[in-house]
Amino acid sequence: MKVLVVEDEKGLAESITDYMNKEGYLCETAGTFREADERIYLYQYDCVIVDLTLPDGDGFQLIQTLKKLLATTGVIIISARNALEDKIRGLEIGSDDYLTKPFHLSELNARVKSLIRRRNFGGHTEIRFREIRVNPSSRKVYVNGQLAVLSRKEYDLLLYFLSNIDVVLTKVSIAEHLWGDNIDSADSLDMVYSHIKNLRRKLLEKGGSDYVSSVYGIGYKFGEP
Amino acid sequence: MKLLAKTNRIYLAFSLAIYLFAGLAFYQVVRILIYNEVETRLKVEKRDFEAYLKQHKAWSDTTYFVENKIDVVPVGRQTRLSETFIDTLIQNRYDQELMPFRQLTFYVPIKGVMHRVSIRKSLIQSYQLIEVITVTMAACLGLLLLGTFWFQGKLSGRLWLPFYESLSRIKRFNLASATPLQLDKPEINEFRELNEVLRKMGDKMQQDYRSLKEFTENASHEIQTPLALINAKVEQLIQSEKLTETQTRWIEEIYQASRRMARLNQGLLLLAKIDNQQFTDNQAVDLAALLAEKLGAMDEVLHHKRIAVKIGNLVPFAIQLPPALADSLVTNLVNNAIKHNHAEGRVELRSDGKNLSLGNTGHALVSNPERLFERFKKEGSGPDSVGLGLAIIKEICDTYGLEVQYDENNGWHRFGISRKVNEE
Repeated sequence: MKVLVVEDEKGLAESITDYMNKEGYLCETAGTFREADERIYLYQYDCVIVDLTLPDGDGFQLIQTLKKLLATTGVIIISARNALEDKIRGLEIGSDDYLTKPFHLSELNARVKSLIRRRNFGGHTEIRFREIRVNPSSRKVYVNGQLAVLSRKEYDLLLYFLSNIDVVLTKVSIAEHLWGDNIDSADSLDMVYSHIKNLRRKLLEKGGSDYVSSVYGIGYKFGEP
Repeated sequence: MKLLAKTNRIYLAFSLAIYLFAGLAFYQVVRILIYNEVETRLKVEKRDFEAYLKQHKAWSDTTYFVENKIDVVPVGRQTRLSETFIDTLIQNRYDQELMPFRQLTFYVPIKGVMHRVSIRKSLIQSYQLIEVITVTMAACLGLLLLGTFWFQGKLSGRLWLPFYESLSRIKRFNLASATPLQLDKPEINEFRELNEVLRKMGDKMQQDYRSLKEFTENASHEIQTPLALINAKVEQLIQSEKLTETQTRWIEEIYQASRRMARLNQGLLLLAKIDNQQFTDNQAVDLAALLAEKLGAMDEVLHHKRIAVKIGNLVPFAIQLPPALADSLVTNLVNNAIKHNHAEGRVELRSDGKNLSLGNTGHALVSNPERLFERFKKEGSGPDSVGLGLAIIKEICDTYGLEVQYDENNGWHRFGISRKVNEE
């Protein structure tokens, strides 16, 4: 899987690249419009993460070029502008997702994964982690072959965990993933806790192991115990 | 007081003073002239009288048949020899009317006896003359006064016209709009210069205003990227397994602070955008339904805080609002109702089509309710609150012709939204 990160802020591009590399993607960066333009002509990418405001050009133009060259490439816009018009325009010219800065790397990662899943397999692929099996098209979760009945939020939470295995996820990022930006954080953090508790219980009930661990109160991690 | 009224008033007072003074002076001059004339004639008659005496050595009244013309009285002793002019009134022979006369009195010896001789001349005609002259004068001066007054008014009105025109345009001038201040170029230098200066000032003000707004917006945008960087680095940092608990707590605090800053920034940016009227895609939205929907979406939080929601009679409350702002409005209202609620509290939504109200139970307000809608006014100092929610609600309402009110009653906090009564 090849991912191109088009972002002029070096530190941010680096963080995204690091994160993606850890997830097993081959990740490249382009800091300017020209560089990015050159790269999309030369190579093929599965997913391109584009910042809209580049020092020497407009991200939208880049997406348009990209879509002309290879329509199957997934596009995720990351922008400091939180304007509805930008989101609509982005979708109109063929981008798949829009993230407003500042965003969580784990969120970006989850979106990239979901995008690639949709692109490559039309969503008809199962996500497996040990004894846990998730069918994204039917939104069903099986543990040891047994169906675990999860609420919508619990399902979203599990998928978020599965997209970020062995990664510490902050409570805030989980809350925002589940309820969006507008959620009031004080209440939502409690709610995150109760959802995690329920998810854990339901997975354990079906004979699964406990993969969720709490990290110093800052967040949670899903992975090998 | 208007400038024209003021000048007219001063002009009127001044002209009246001049008019009175001129009138009196004229009257005096005419009077003096007439007296001089009468007195000269009286002196001539005195010479005639003396000539007659010299010739005839005696005096007979018959020479003068006209009544009261001359009066010759013998006086015993020689009292005064000087001649004097006096004004006197003498009764008319026929109708007993008192008539004004000028009288010259002098003393003359006739046949060795000193006589006092008084020669008189009627002033009646002179007085009539004075009257006629005075009246004519008064009329002329009055007409002149009225005429100049009228002319002055007309002239000032016309001269000051460019000034009033500029004034009304400045009044209509809107700093926030894109149209510059348009002023005429009148032919009067002073006004032209004034307009020139005003136009420059207007342009400068608009430019400053615009750049200030752009600054707010750009600054907010620029802040988002470093914030994203902090967030990303923190996220990477917490993946490290060598962190101690204290270090994690510090990181957590950095993280919280950056989140808070991001929210703050987004709030300010939204306010700036509403201010700049960057939302233009007005659509008909039913706020009552949106609020009910939002309460439904927040079901989980409400459930978590054990808050009971009661949706009363819900008549649609349709208004024109950009959808993004409608969403922001209801989100902030609902968030506010939940945040400032206590556990096992209640939320109540009502709409009668004219007034939309969202009430919530909660602790009594600590801060001044009048200042509740100001930016950065916070009830308590929760780290998750940035104090912009109500300011955003107010800004949206103000910009789109709505009125938002807050009242507190019996532990209920109610926000009412109604359409602003058109002031024009």
